[in-house]
Amino acid sequence: MSDKIILLVEDNEDDEELAVLAFARSRIANAMVVVRDGQEALDYFFGTEANGGKDAKMMPQLVLLDLKLPKVGGLEVLKRLRADPRTRRLPVVILTSSKKEEDMLSSYDFGANSYVRKPVEFERFAEAIQQLQMYWLVLNEAPTSGGDRP
Amino acid sequence: MHGFAQSIVETVRHPLLILDGGLRVREANVAFYRTFRAAEAETEGRLVYELGGGQWDIPRLRALLGEVARDGGAFRDVEVRHDFPHVGVKVMVLDAHRVLHDDGTPMILLAIEDATDKTLALDALHELNRELDDRVSERTAQLEAANRELEAFAYSVSHDLRAPLRALDGFSDELLRSYTDRLDDRGQHYLRRLRSGTQRMGQLIDDMLMLSRINRGAMRREPVDLTALAEGVAAELRGREPDRTVAFVIEPGLSAVGDGALLGVALENLLGNAWKFTSKKPSATIAVGRERYEGAPAFFVRDDGAGFDMAHVSKLFGAFQRLHTLREFPGNGVGLATVQRVVHRHGGQVWAEGVPGQGATFHFTLPQEESR
Repeated sequence: MSDKIILLVEDNEDDEELAVLAFARSRIANAMVVVRDGQEALDYFFGTEANGGKDAKMMPQLVLLDLKLPKVGGLEVLKRLRADPRTRRLPVVILTSSKKEEDMLSSYDFGANSYVRKPVEFERFAEAIQQLQMYWLVLNEAPTSGGDRP
Repeated sequence: MHGFAQSIVETVRHPLLILDGGLRVREANVAFYRTFRAAEAETEGRLVYELGGGQWDIPRLRALLGEVARDGGAFRDVEVRHDFPHVGVKVMVLDAHRVLHDDGTPMILLAIEDATDKTLALDALHELNRELDDRVSERTAQLEAANRELEAFAYSVSHDLRAPLRALDGFSDELLRSYTDRLDDRGQHYLRRLRSGTQRMGQLIDDMLMLSRINRGAMRREPVDLTALAEGVAAELRGREPDRTVAFVIEPGLSAVGDGALLGVALENLLGNAWKFTSKKPSATIAVGRERYEGAPAFFVRDDGAGFDMAHVSKLFGAFQRLHTLREFPGNGVGLATVQRVVHRHGGQVWAEGVPGQGATFHFTLPQEESR
């Protein structure tokens, strides 16, 4: 088991379980952490205000971010991640069912590393997940400074 | 004033006044009395500005007549709009010039054309046009809003329908994969049917979205190489099913002016159809070219596949209309509706000819580059 963590930001239970299934099918098994809305995602990175940010969690190697999220939307989460030096270079892949051009353009404008549309066909979805994992966790050289803890 | 001159004055249909040098009325004709509801006794010998209780005391007229009386000369086609107390609003076109009376006294002939009806009719017409314009832009705005709403609806429907479909497909896939030992053949068969249903629905949602997108957004107008587009689609179809024997005969140099992306979608659908409906033949030919059709040049995509009965041709381009069962040929009946929208958006026409068992030809026209 690799010690690299993937953070999945996903509010749909079905999609969450499908993503877990798809990950389970791939040979490189990374730990996957799931948060279910935008606020939870921000708390994961920056800690909760109640704890003065001290409860921020371990930096993931890759973030899979849905756009349509309760509380804080995916684009807003992305914006906040890019605004903070700790997460500025963190690989973020938008994983959404939106085919809207403006969603795609805004995602790139706000600094998304990739934009992947969830296919209806599960086999293709599983393939996409495996390829993402292979690319971002194995092939890709992760930035060294972006993931540093302060 | 008698005789010849007087009979002219009486005959003229426009109101006329003959004034002396002091601007007193020497004579008025019948038309004047009728139009301005004046009596002869209250008119002749009176100063023009005193007529009808001072209703002719119009500043503009005073200035004009004063000038003619003082300096001689004339004026023509002066439009005066005035609200007469007993007559109502009148629009008059005034002409005046000096004339000599029989006895040699200088006089002023004031001709008053009653342009009220004409002017009011014109005003009403302009008003009507303005109202019509307003109504048209209002309706257009309403239509545009309704269209935007529909687009947003189509988008959110497609988005929201996709999520449960993913769940249906994904979990049935997992069942087939990890629980096969606990499912007999029949159970697995039903699961496969479930999966193919969800996948068809997914495709349908995508195609519907494409159809709704065709009419949206700006359309480019640039030279498009249809030959290259068709060759690209052909290569993709071949790549998808490399075992099939299909000859593509694509005419070189086919070009049109339009939106390359939209025309690509149209060709994908036309060639995809040709590919699909020749799938039952051991070998097939698909041709793309240009020929004269009833005297005018038109593009065509022709295949020697299943064809169709011309009795059903009217259904061919309707959305969700199919001429074959799913068992014969898969599809959802959106492809040709999409083709038609693309061609219509370019201002062209599309039509089809078919013979069952012998093949189909789809013709379409597109704007051409203007010859230089």
